[in-house]
Amino acid sequence: MKRYLSLIIGFFVIKTNLFAAEAGMPQLDPTYWASQAFWLILVFAILYLSISKLYLPKIKGNLDDRENKIKEDLDNANKFKENSEAKIKEYATILENAKREVAKIHLESKNNLNKDIQSKKQVMEKEIEREIFKAQKEIIELKKSSIASIQNISINVASNIIEDISGDKLNESSIKATVDEVSKKNMGKYL
Amino acid sequence: MQQFTVHKIGPEIKIAGIDLSFTNASLFMVISAVLISFFLFLGTREKKIIPDKIQLITEMLYNFVAKMISDTAGSKAKPYFPFIFSLFMFVLLCNMVGMLPYSFTVTSHIIVTLIMALFIFVAVTIIGFVKHGFKYLSIFVPSGVPAILLPLITVIEIISYLSRPVSLSVRLFANMMAGHTMLKVFGGFVVSLGILGGWLPLSFSVALTGLEILVAFLQAYVFAILTCIYLNDALNLHH
Repeated sequence: MKRYLSLIIGFFVIKTNLFAAEAGMPQLDPTYWASQAFWLILVFAILYLSISKLYLPKIKGNLDDRENKIKEDLDNANKFKENSEAKIKEYATILENAKREVAKIHLESKNNLNKDIQSKKQVMEKEIEREIFKAQKEIIELKKSSIASIQNISINVASNIIEDISGDKLNESSIKATVDEVSKKNMGKYL
Repeated sequence: MQQFTVHKIGPEIKIAGIDLSFTNASLFMVISAVLISFFLFLGTREKKIIPDKIQLITEMLYNFVAKMISDTAGSKAKPYFPFIFSLFMFVLLCNMVGMLPYSFTVTSHIIVTLIMALFIFVAVTIIGFVKHGFKYLSIFVPSGVPAILLPLITVIEIISYLSRPVSLSVRLFANMMAGHTMLKVFGGFVVSLGILGGWLPLSFSVALTGLEILVAFLQAYVFAILTCIYLNDALNLHH
């Protein structure tokens, strides 16, 4: 394929006579070899010096700077991470302690409260008992006094009634004795 | 072949009877060098932590060449990094500038590539002898070769070593010249076949231009990487 292509190209070149005037390779003409060598060495030397002394150190410096910056940033990030982890640990321990404290305080206060309630309850119970005792005593006294006054009233009533009915005054002491007797008989009924 | 002719620009400069006049070849060398300098100047003007486009390109080129050297020649070749970088950039720019219409391809001249290759050859040989003394000659005697074959192999090695500058220079020169000649031939077809038949060679020309740009990059890369390999032979003597 390649051979045919080059054959066809060659044929066309000869046929059209395109390059007859330009036969030969200018590269093999030594007229300007020295000039080319001279200028090549000169230009390349200047280029080499400017690249090696000026541009490459700059590029290298910049690349190193970037690498250092990235490294530094990563180190910083790691440090921050460690710090934050330590802080989290600290926080966890504080939280744990606080929880324990709270539980302790809770228990303590609960116990205290219970004790307090117990003691107060006892005091109250005693008081109530006392009050009840007092009230009972009062009631008994009241009963006694009421019986006495009732007796007096009954004596009066009885003497008045007898006076009104019979018209003569009875001996007060005999009435009293009778009332006492009746009341003694019926005392259980009312009290 | 007119595109390859060298002609004088400006006055004739003669030093000790040798014609060193400024020519169109010299002009395009200067243009390539100035373009490289300008490009690198733009790329290193600002030192940014987050690079802009042109800085990014210069850094990519730096890393590209640095990786190429460390991959082929190891860490010992670090002092020669500026030279390889300059060489790669210069050949690349000369090839690329040559792709522009009406321009001159500096690297399509055997004398230019031969001088570069000879310089590399001589420099590498000197480096080899300076680093290893006469032990550097052991590069011609590969280890693990049967004693009977050794004279033959040594002769072959010497020939291949001595042909390095020739192969290095001819490869670049021939590639560039052939590509430009092909383009010229197809361009000539476009003209000679006229408006009716010229479309096919024109499309070929377009395709070839793309190919030539690839070749221009590839040859610069090959030139640089072969230099690295020769340097590796001189620096790390383990044949």
